Amino acid sequence: MNLIRDCLDKQINDRLKRRMGRVDGIVLEVEPGRPPRVAYIELGVKTLMKRLSRRLGNAITHEPYRIAWGQIEVGLNEVRADVEAEKTPALEWELWLRKKVIGRIPGA
Amino acid sequence: MKKIMEIALGIVTSVGGFLEIGSIATAAQAGADFSFQLIWAIVLGGLCIIFLVEQAGRFSAVSGRTIPDAIRERFGFNYFAFLYIVLALVSLLVLAAEIGGVCIALELATGIHFQWWTVPAAFLIWLVMWKGTFGVIEKGVSVLGLVTLSFVVGAYLIHPPEAQVLRGVLPSLPQHDKAHYWFAAVSILGASISPYLFFFYSSGAIEDEWNEGYVGVNRIIATGGMTFGSVISISVLILAAMIFAPQGVKFEHYSQLPDLLVPVFGYWGYWLLVASVGIACLGAALEITLEIAYLTAQGFGWNWSENQRPKDEARFAAAYTLTIIVAALITITGIDPLTLTIFSMALTAATLPVSIVPFLFLMNDYSYVRVYRNGWFSNAVVIAIISLAFVLAVVSIPLQIFGGG
Repeated sequence: MNLIRDCLDKQINDRLKRRMGRVDGIVLEVEPGRPPRVAYIELGVKTLMKRLSRRLGNAITHEPYRIAWGQIEVGLNEVRADVEAEKTPALEWELWLRKKVIGRIPGA
Repeated sequence: MKKIMEIALGIVTSVGGFLEIGSIATAAQAGADFSFQLIWAIVLGGLCIIFLVEQAGRFSAVSGRTIPDAIRERFGFNYFAFLYIVLALVSLLVLAAEIGGVCIALELATGIHFQWWTVPAAFLIWLVMWKGTFGVIEKGVSVLGLVTLSFVVGAYLIHPPEAQVLRGVLPSLPQHDKAHYWFAAVSILGASISPYLFFFYSSGAIEDEWNEGYVGVNRIIATGGMTFGSVISISVLILAAMIFAPQGVKFEHYSQLPDLLVPVFGYWGYWLLVASVGIACLGAALEITLEIAYLTAQGFGWNWSENQRPKDEARFAAAYTLTIIVAALITITGIDPLTLTIFSMALTAATLPVSIVPFLFLMNDYSYVRVYRNGWFSNAVVIAIISLAFVLAVVSIPLQIFGGG
């Protein structure tokens, strides 16, 4: 698999097929004497900003959400994560907006 | 039978989406200043948008993805971020112009200054987004938009000189006001080749659950819809050329718009004009608002669909709500809507390469479009459009300075 072409920036769907974000970053673990190992995928503004500029990324304190490589399956059109999106920090903003803003407007 | 109905409705939808305040204003200005001489710019813009819309629809039908979705995947976040910032800023200005168009129609109908209508117009747009489904926006408003065919009937009834109209289809050099002539041409192209049209169309294909079986339908809809849209724009230009140009009247304010139809239809011409401008701008405002929300949600992988309840996709709903608020704030400042329209059309032309270059790569990527990849002819056309887009990008700002006045 070509990580950049086949995985990075792909749509992530949870086990209920709900859109939960994109693969914003890929974390490799390097141990002495062993080949690098793909450990996690990351979702979050900090990771995205780091891709634009390291300084921008460092300015954001909110840490990205990580999903272990073993919990995902990279498909042709999507990355399927074996998690429930609403119970993860990936939908933190979505749930906050739903509860505090959008959900309070009549007809939502 | 079902497919024929879909094609008919699709064409109507595309016509409704094509005509907006930008195409009306730029065509009216071109007709008033240069008679029939700039028809070629509408024809050229129409041909470009036919190819781009067809390719956007084919891409989504075959790959199951929207264009912004694939741009993020194929070109990475950094390019997407650049495209997003450029497109969102330009689209916000165009949206502000469209809200201004709705307000102008309301001013013409009531006599109350357009600025006072900004909040009600913005609220109406938001309400349709909030309560309506994609079908309501796509088909409902677009079917109402058929009232804009009154421009075509008007252009026919005014009996324009056929030879001059046909001569206008061929590009020619200006006899006077060279910088202004080329600025008008660039603005027309900016109004015709609107990125929001093909980004919206691509998302619409996913909302309507198109698949490979729709490749043929898509081709007919894209060609038919954009052709009819161009014919309406040409009709506006013809009316301006027949009514304004002989008297040496410049098109400088939207209050002159009724003069396009009143000489042909009399009293009813006034109200046909009000309805045409109001509905065309409302339709375009809805499409642009959705396009910005789609672009945001698709780029960041959020849940999105105009067919879901707002609370089931809170970030998507927040994106379009915020979009409308920001655009309305621009309109409410009282910037002359015509100046804003012409400026945003020129800016659209200046930023075209950013949106069009990805087509060349995406439409040739076997992993997305498989056997439906572009052939040599389509690729040659895309390269020609990209070249044109780069020329427009380079010349539009200097022309804005030297020929925009």
